[in-house]
Amino acid sequence: MLTSLRRALRGYLFTIAGIAIGVAGIVALGAMAERIVRFIDGGDRFVLGQISVAGRGMGMGAGFTAGGLLPAAAIEAIRKVEGVAGVQPQVMLPLNPSTSQFMTLTQELVIGMDLSVPSPNRHYRTLPVQAGRFLREGDRRKAVVGASFAVSRRLAPGSRLELEGTAYEVVGVLERMLTAPDRFVVVAIQDAREQWVAKDRLLRTVLASGGVALRAQDLNTGAAVGWRDGADPDVVARRIRDQVAGVNVQIPSELSSLLRQSTAFFSALLVGIGLLAFVIGGLSLANTVAAAVFERIRDFGVKRALGATDWQLGREILAEALAVTLSGGALGVLLAMVLGLAIDGWARRSGQQLFLFSPRLLGGALVFSVLLGAAAAAYAALRIVRLSPAEAIRRGSAA
Amino acid sequence: MLPEPVLRARGLVKRFAAPAGPPIEVLAGAELTVRRGELVVIEGPSGSGKSTLLNVLGLLEDADAGEIRFGERTVSTLGRSAKSRERGRWLGFVFQSFLLLPGLTALDNVLLAARYTSGVDAELRRRAMALLERFGMAERRDHHPAQLSGGEQQRVAFCRAVLNDPPLLLADEPTGNLDDANGAVILESLRDRARSGGAVIVVSHRPDAARDADAVFTLAAGKLHPAATRRPSGAGTL
Repeated sequence: MLTSLRRALRGYLFTIAGIAIGVAGIVALGAMAERIVRFIDGGDRFVLGQISVAGRGMGMGAGFTAGGLLPAAAIEAIRKVEGVAGVQPQVMLPLNPSTSQFMTLTQELVIGMDLSVPSPNRHYRTLPVQAGRFLREGDRRKAVVGASFAVSRRLAPGSRLELEGTAYEVVGVLERMLTAPDRFVVVAIQDAREQWVAKDRLLRTVLASGGVALRAQDLNTGAAVGWRDGADPDVVARRIRDQVAGVNVQIPSELSSLLRQSTAFFSALLVGIGLLAFVIGGLSLANTVAAAVFERIRDFGVKRALGATDWQLGREILAEALAVTLSGGALGVLLAMVLGLAIDGWARRSGQQLFLFSPRLLGGALVFSVLLGAAAAAYAALRIVRLSPAEAIRRGSAA
Repeated sequence: MLPEPVLRARGLVKRFAAPAGPPIEVLAGAELTVRRGELVVIEGPSGSGKSTLLNVLGLLEDADAGEIRFGERTVSTLGRSAKSRERGRWLGFVFQSFLLLPGLTALDNVLLAARYTSGVDAELRRRAMALLERFGMAERRDHHPAQLSGGEQQRVAFCRAVLNDPPLLLADEPTGNLDDANGAVILESLRDRARSGGAVIVVSHRPDAARDADAVFTLAAGKLHPAATRRPSGAGTL
C-alpha cells in the first residue's frame, strides 16, 4: 500500500506542487490575519482587564491613560469608591515625544508602575517574562523591555539602556505577546516620573516656579483600577466618574468597542482577503485534484477492465487524493512558514512581526486542503466509475 | 462430448448515437459460443464493430440488448461492481495499444491483474516472474513501459492477461502495433493458450492470425458469419 502510494505520489509531483502553492498562499495570508487578530485581541484583553483612569485634560501621557495629571488625592479617592479592589498609579510616556501619538497601540512607551501595588489588571496579573526577571519593589534604574523593543535594540538581561540621559540596566525581556507590551519599557514609577520631568519642559517650569503644590506622588498620568469579584466593571467605572472629580474614566466595554471600531477596517480587510484566499486557493486546489484524477482516466479504465470494483477504485482514488493533498498541504504550510519566517527575520530588525503561524491556522489549512481534495477526488471518482471501462479507456487514450 | 462453453452470447445489439439521424446499429443480433480450448478469430473491415463486439463480450461496455453468459451464469444483467468481479474471475485482455500503466514497472503491471481479484502474494509474484522469464522479459521487470519497445510492452501485457489463468482471453488486434516477428510471438502465445485448455477470442486483421484457429468469423452488418471452421463439432457456433 505504502509502495503504491509512493509511486502514485511520484506521478503527482506537479499536482502536489500546484496544491502546495495554493495552500502556501492561504496560509501566508491567514498568518497575516492571525497576527492582526492577536494584536487586536491582546489590546482588547488588556483594556477589558482593568478600568483605566487618567487626570482630566491633555498632558503628555500616552497609551490608555493619556490625559492630564492624576494627583495622589484623586487616586486615594478612587480607592474609596465602592467596588474598587485595587489602584495602581502609573506613568505612561511616549519613548520619543516627537513620534505621532496617532497609533497608540504601536507606539513605544515607557511605563512606570507603582511596584508596591499588585497589578489590578485581571488579565495581566503579571507580564510574562521570557528572559531575566520582572521588576521588584525597590528596583531603581532597572528596566524590563518588551520583546520587539528588545530585538530592535538587541537588548537582553544585563544590557544597558539609556533613557533621558540616564543609564538603566535591563533585568528582563517580556515574552512576545504580539500586542502593545511588545514595545513597552517598564520601569519603577519613580524612575518614570523623573523621565517625565526631564521630557516635559512645561512641567519643569511649573515645578521650578513653586506656584503649584505638587509632590512626587502626584505625578501620575493615570491609574489602573481593579474591581471586586462579582462587581460589574462598567458600573464601577461610572461610579468613579460620578464620585471622583477631575478624572477621565474609560468604561472598559466602551474602550473595547472603541478599540474594535478603530481596527474594524483592518479586520474587515483581512477577513475579505482571507475569504478570497480560501475561495481562490480552494477552487484551485479542487480543480488541480480533479484534473489530476481525470488525467488518469485511462488507467482507471484499465483497472476496471482488470476487475477493480467501484469500491476498490473509489478507495484507491480517495487514498491517492488524500496522500496528494496532504503532501501538497504540508508542503504548502512549510513553504509559507519558510517564506513568512524569512520575511519576519528581516522585519524583526525593526521590531516587527508580520506573520503568526498559529496551530489553529496550520491545522485548519491542512484539514481544509485534505477535505477539499477528498471532495474533489470523490466527485471525479463518481464521474469515472459511472463510465464503462471501454469509454474510460477511449477518453483517456484520446486525451 | 463437447467441452463446456466458456462464453455464450445471444442476440447482442449495440447502437451508438449518430451526430444526426437515427442511431448507428453496430451489433444487430450477434451470437457466439466459445468453448474451452478453442481459438476463435473474428475478422472484418475497419469500422465493422469488431472492437465493440469484444468490448461487449468482455463486459467493458453494455449491450443494448442480448444476453451474455460466462459458464452457466448470466453476466450481462449484473450491476457494475458484479461485472467487474466477473471480469476479474473469467477474463484476460490483450489490447492493441497494450494499455500498460505508465507509472508501474513491467512486473507491477503484470501483478496488477491480481491486485483487484485474489490479491498479490509471494506465489503470484513468483508466477509473474516466471511468465516474464518465459517471454524473455525477466531482465526488464523493473523497467517502466516508456522504457520498453512495443513488442516488449505487448509481451508484458500478455503476461498480465494470463497471470490469473482466466478461462477466456480476449485479444483486440494484439499484433496491430507490432512488427512481424513480435506479432508472431504474440499469436503463437495465444495459440498455446488455447492448446493448453483456455478459450481465446482474437480480433485481428493479420491473415496468419487465423492459422490454427478453431473457428474464423467475419463481422458484417452487425452479425457474425462463419468464414472457416475446423471444429470437429462445428462449434464456435453462432
